[in-house]
Amino acid sequence: MGGSLNVIGYGLAAIGPAIAVGLVFAAYINGVARQPESRGMLQPIAILGFALAEALAILGFVLAFINPGGE
Amino acid sequence: MPAWVMAAAAEEEGGFWETAYPVLPHPGELIAGLVFLALLYLLVAKVVVPRLEKAFEERREAIQGGVEKAERAQAEANAALQEYKAQLADARGEANRIREEARQQGAAILAEMREQAQAEAERITVSARATIEAERAQAAAQLRAEVGRLATDLASRIVGESLQEPARQSGVVDRFLAELESTSSPQGVTSR
Amino acid sequence: MSLSTLATAGGETFEAPTPGDFWQPLIGNGDFAITRPMFVMALSVVVIGALLLATTKRLTVVPANKKQFAVEALYGFVRNGVARDIIGSKEFLRYVPLLFTMFVLILVNNLAGVIPPIQFPTMSRIGFPIALTLVVFVLYHAIGIKRKGLGGYFKSLMPAGVPVFLVPVVYLLELFTYFVSRPLTLAVRLFANMFAGHMLILVLFLGGEHLLLHGEGLLPAAGVVSYLFGLVMSFFELLIQVLQSYIFVLLTATYIAGSLADEH
Repeated sequence: MGGSLNVIGYGLAAIGPAIAVGLVFAAYINGVARQPESRGMLQPIAILGFALAEALAILGFVLAFINPGGE
Repeated sequence: MPAWVMAAAAEEEGGFWETAYPVLPHPGELIAGLVFLALLYLLVAKVVVPRLEKAFEERREAIQGGVEKAERAQAEANAALQEYKAQLADARGEANRIREEARQQGAAILAEMREQAQAEAERITVSARATIEAERAQAAAQLRAEVGRLATDLASRIVGESLQEPARQSGVVDRFLAELESTSSPQGVTSR
Repeated sequence: MSLSTLATAGGETFEAPTPGDFWQPLIGNGDFAITRPMFVMALSVVVIGALLLATTKRLTVVPANKKQFAVEALYGFVRNGVARDIIGSKEFLRYVPLLFTMFVLILVNNLAGVIPPIQFPTMSRIGFPIALTLVVFVLYHAIGIKRKGLGGYFKSLMPAGVPVFLVPVVYLLELFTYFVSRPLTLAVRLFANMFAGHMLILVLFLGGEHLLLHGEGLLPAAGVVSYLFGLVMSFFELLIQVLQSYIFVLLTATYIAGSLADEH
């Protein structure tokens, strides 16, 4: 079984954004559970927060491909 | 960047994009993406969105028009209800009036009837009284004549003298009767 | 970069799918080769255009059929749910066509990844997301510069209320956000989701097939499980595909709204 250290690195780098995404949606669910009528307002905000947190994972994804030593 | 160098070397063999990193954009695909986006955008912006916006606008107006129509119908219904109620009140008043009139008429008829009956009764009583009076007078006259004759007969028989002479006769009898009448009265009845 | 080679007991070796599998030229092999995703996208544009034209040809006040209702629901979602809510009811109408075009284009091209005869998500070739992002990038900067002037725009990038000694650092970060981070993440998010999702399904189905055909003992059973899991992941992909097209237009609308706003 072969592989690239880059992929492992990316896996490690994705932990942070994964937790962040989890936190964002946990807060969103909390908010909606407390005030169901605020759902429409919270949804775009939650998705935006999710997108921002995910940006870090995406940067890592790009960096994982940039190092040519992985072949 | 070494990746580019290596990949560029691979391109010489014709397989650059096969082994290239997936984060490197292929120029042909980039251009194709722009062209197709522009094509679809033109179509959507020039034709589809105006049509949809027009439909949305029409729908909005239709809904607003519907609301107005409903309001108008409501107002009409209210007016009709008012009118109906007014008519009902009128009819009720009319009925009351007619009933009242009928009652009054009935009372008047009753009164008139009663009056008529009373008048009739009066008339009958009066005529009966008159008849009685007349009969009584007649009886009295007859009686007077009879009594006079009887009395003179009796007297002539007793006296033996003919009292048939009318002048005397009448004077005597009348005097007698007047005397009789003046002394009669209540006790006269028992003495008789 | 080959992910792994899996040797089974049958002696056949399993070649895992590689990123190279996404390079599928139809005509030519160079920088301007006609490729399969181009064909898919052309097809999608034709299909979307024909469908939209056909359904909006005779629009009735009360939706006459399900097609009209579906198109109106989709359009209403982008128009009211994204554009009007994010950009604001004053100026959103100008950007609705672009947002709607992008949403439908991305949605259909993403869904092409699981629709049987096509089964190739166009956006898993990064050229296409970059093309879309380029338009968004140019658009939101152009709006900002037109609205506030060149100097005013660059001044407005600075958030208010930052302590003086932090201003240079924050400003550099803002510049990075506006000129690198935003377009990069916008393009790569779409690309990476489609790429990784399609790769995952490929691995599950190809691996399942390999286990089923060449495996010994209990391995074919594992192949069945792999197929089932691939099916589950296909449905999950469906969700991701819709979500990603929504996120793309949502972020586009947010960037446009940010450039329209007076204060950063």
